[in-house]
Amino acid sequence: MALKERPKPFLLPEYCKGCGRCLDACAKDCITLSDQINPLTGLVPVELDLANCNACGLCMDACPEPYGLRPAHEGEIQDFELEDPAKLFGVKPSDAPEPIDLPSEVLPLPRTEPLVIKGTYASALGALLAGCRHVYGYPITPSTEGAELMAKFLPKLDGTFIQAVSEVATVNMMYGTAGAGLPTMTFTSSPGFSLMLEGVSYMIGAELPGVFVDVMRGGPGLGNIAPEQSDIKLACHGLGHGNTHAITLAPATPQEMLDLTMLAFELSFKYRNPVILLGDGYLGQMTGKVQLPETMIKPGIPKWAVYGDAMHRRNVITSIFLTETDLEAHNVHLNAKYEAMKVEARSESFLCDDAEVILIACNTPARTAKGAVQDLRNQGVKAGLFRPITLWPFPVEELKKAIHGAQRIVVVEASAGQLEDEVRLALSKAGVRQFPEIESVRRMGGILPQQSEIMTRVLGQKEVLA
Amino acid sequence: MSKASVFYDKFERHSHGEGLKGHATHYCPGCGHGLAHKYLAEAIDELGIQDRTVAISPVGCSVFLYYYFDVGNSQAAHGRAPVVALGHKFANPESVVISYQGDGDLASIGLAETIATAQLGAPITVIFINNAIYGMTGGQMAPTTLMGQSSSTSPAGRNEYNGQPMKMAEIIAGLDGPVYVERVALFDAKQRIKAKKAIQKAIKLQVEGRGYSFIEVLAECPTHLKMDPEATAKWVKECMEPVYPLGVKKDITVEPWFKRNPPCFKGEKLLSLAGATSEHSDRFCKGFPTHLDAQDISLKLAGSGGDGAQTAAMLIARAAISEGFDATHIPSYGPESRGGTSYADVHVAKDEVLNPGSPDPQVLIAFNTPSLVKFGPTVRKGGFVIYDSSVVTEAPVLDPSIKVFPVPFTGIATDLGKAVVKNIVALGALQAATGIFPKDTLLTAIRVALKDKCALIPLNEEAFAWGIKSVEALDK
Repeated sequence: MALKERPKPFLLPEYCKGCGRCLDACAKDCITLSDQINPLTGLVPVELDLANCNACGLCMDACPEPYGLRPAHEGEIQDFELEDPAKLFGVKPSDAPEPIDLPSEVLPLPRTEPLVIKGTYASALGALLAGCRHVYGYPITPSTEGAELMAKFLPKLDGTFIQAVSEVATVNMMYGTAGAGLPTMTFTSSPGFSLMLEGVSYMIGAELPGVFVDVMRGGPGLGNIAPEQSDIKLACHGLGHGNTHAITLAPATPQEMLDLTMLAFELSFKYRNPVILLGDGYLGQMTGKVQLPETMIKPGIPKWAVYGDAMHRRNVITSIFLTETDLEAHNVHLNAKYEAMKVEARSESFLCDDAEVILIACNTPARTAKGAVQDLRNQGVKAGLFRPITLWPFPVEELKKAIHGAQRIVVVEASAGQLEDEVRLALSKAGVRQFPEIESVRRMGGILPQQSEIMTRVLGQKEVLA
Repeated sequence: MSKASVFYDKFERHSHGEGLKGHATHYCPGCGHGLAHKYLAEAIDELGIQDRTVAISPVGCSVFLYYYFDVGNSQAAHGRAPVVALGHKFANPESVVISYQGDGDLASIGLAETIATAQLGAPITVIFINNAIYGMTGGQMAPTTLMGQSSSTSPAGRNEYNGQPMKMAEIIAGLDGPVYVERVALFDAKQRIKAKKAIQKAIKLQVEGRGYSFIEVLAECPTHLKMDPEATAKWVKECMEPVYPLGVKKDITVEPWFKRNPPCFKGEKLLSLAGATSEHSDRFCKGFPTHLDAQDISLKLAGSGGDGAQTAAMLIARAAISEGFDATHIPSYGPESRGGTSYADVHVAKDEVLNPGSPDPQVLIAFNTPSLVKFGPTVRKGGFVIYDSSVVTEAPVLDPSIKVFPVPFTGIATDLGKAVVKNIVALGALQAATGIFPKDTLLTAIRVALKDKCALIPLNEEAFAWGIKSVEALDK
């Protein structure tokens, strides 16, 4: 049996940067640095004199360039010459298959009696029913019970709950699982959501789905753990750096904590973008009646995912667009997507048709405002309630209908005007210049506006400010 | 040796990937990334895991790892690569996830993620390129910069005010999570062979499901160390190696442990975890208790943590919902986890609860004096106050329209042998004092709540009955 002859190194000077690692590696001094700058690369490549070469291979091991020093037998060299650019620079000769969508399945569930559970639990169940089995989180009141329920249930469903070292780690674990194409979510509260914004921006840039349940509490800083609508502006206009937006849903009941969490997953995958569920501290802690749906989702794997299998090997998840024109094109694409999301605007109008006074409120304050509307109607005041369910995109078309014919607008909120700013911005962008002066009922610090305060504001014309 | 098949034949993702440069990496002459890439590519090839691999690209020069590797690629934010890797690993436990990071990334901004992930011990592989400087941003001081070494942010040389160089391999090896930690170098043929073997072993351990591994590679950055490639290799050998000694820092043998079943999507299992049932519970109410309010009854239960106010509140809400009404319960605690204040706001509404808070309740159940003093005056005219007369010795003066029921919750519960049932005594008193629901409504809620602790049901029923009796005795 003839011994197989070991190949000697072969080099095209254009692929050599002249780092000299091979010089050091060669025991036979076969390699020297050239004294000529290669005109194609501007670098000084090495020169081979293989007369003494024993084909030990150390130089090839030392070459850091994948196309640098390569083994070649006599006569094989032509294979590597740039004679046929089409062969080298044509379609990438990858044997990886074209990725395809593995679709989600909708599975039936029996009709059950209503549960009596708190808002965070309802949201957690919504996530499980939406097919989410990967939850990462960091404990923060008043959202913690959501994570606790996941920690209890997910191991029994062969899912994953990891308590991360921080919110920063949380959002990046979500980034990884979302990159693999699977549903993932977290529970957080205002100070934690602030910390996640870097990752949210990356997820938006890399077009990854993920659901953030932010149970808002009093701020700024540590503030307190009582309900406030402190993150409306953050969610609608401040999601980290860059040109970022995400659909932002504002539930008002434990039932909506479940329903809108499920919707959040659907929209998140539909648009390949994070979706935020903004609850308030009351909604996180509040126990109420929750009817489970009659279907649940078993997720598939989308074609864009980096799942870690042959089917998805070609994919890359990244938010880097190095050239200015590429990044501009990406942002144009993202903006077109944000524009397309506007069809998802949702709202509820209660007794607005003939209303002279329109109250505008979301989350728990919307319930109180609804109570005020009923009381005002009992007293002969034509009041109505407009409740945005998506805060971004703001349901401005429905708002325009609701305030048509109104003589007064009263924004009821647990913040210093964050909702009112959304209302004004939406009307302004929609070209609505004529509308009644906006009045406010605002409480902060963890105190929600009370029905009596709304009544006083509407009936007594007194400004109610904390 | 020959080009690993994991390398793309053409780096078409390279932003300058046309022509000749489509076949050359973007790294500077003499940069350590080229060799580390090559050994990584060869290891993936040799282990036959190209289709399972997800490479996490970091921040720094090597952010463009995905130009070169024909594997699943995911790019991460500065310092966050190990947790992104975890996200991928848990999404697909069969995948082989490699976090490739530089020193500014891994040892500075991402230190928390680095340490926490290593300690978690899940099988991922971290390749740590230590060149003692920030490369991409122009040669600033890194946590690994040597004492006296000048950089653009330590122009006079790193001094004591900048702290000492961070020895990551030793730090990681000191943790219990990792199974294999080694520091290698690239400056001569012997070290390169060790580096190549270490990278392959680290990934193999992951493939076998044995655990987390960490390879620190002392690498050259000729451009920012401001030396030619040859001098840089010499500098790494003579200056870096004494500070960062090479060799295996940790290598323990563990049995393969990382095995995970595919997630479960069985509806029955989920419903059973949630406690959902299709059984329709009995109803006892003839209608909404309109004698209290036409639409919405507001209650407050107040005491100290441990009094059971929250449990009682939850039982009222459950009872109401089982009768087809709407109800809400909001707990409120002091900052103490236990032993502090514990208040519950409850609403029972005919159709829909609109104001879930109870700032002016119709019914107050007070478990101690401070709660009675605090909330007694907020009770609406014509309302009800029920308090624990075992602990409240002197009740404040309330509006004369308010009906007051002193009931010895604690005394009765203690006599029954379990002080914790005082909240059930309170529920009995609530039933008798207000007639909010029929007895059976509340009793059913109590029985359902105790369905997994059936032995406690008779005691609770007795406590409930004593609450009723006490109120009836007051009426006489």
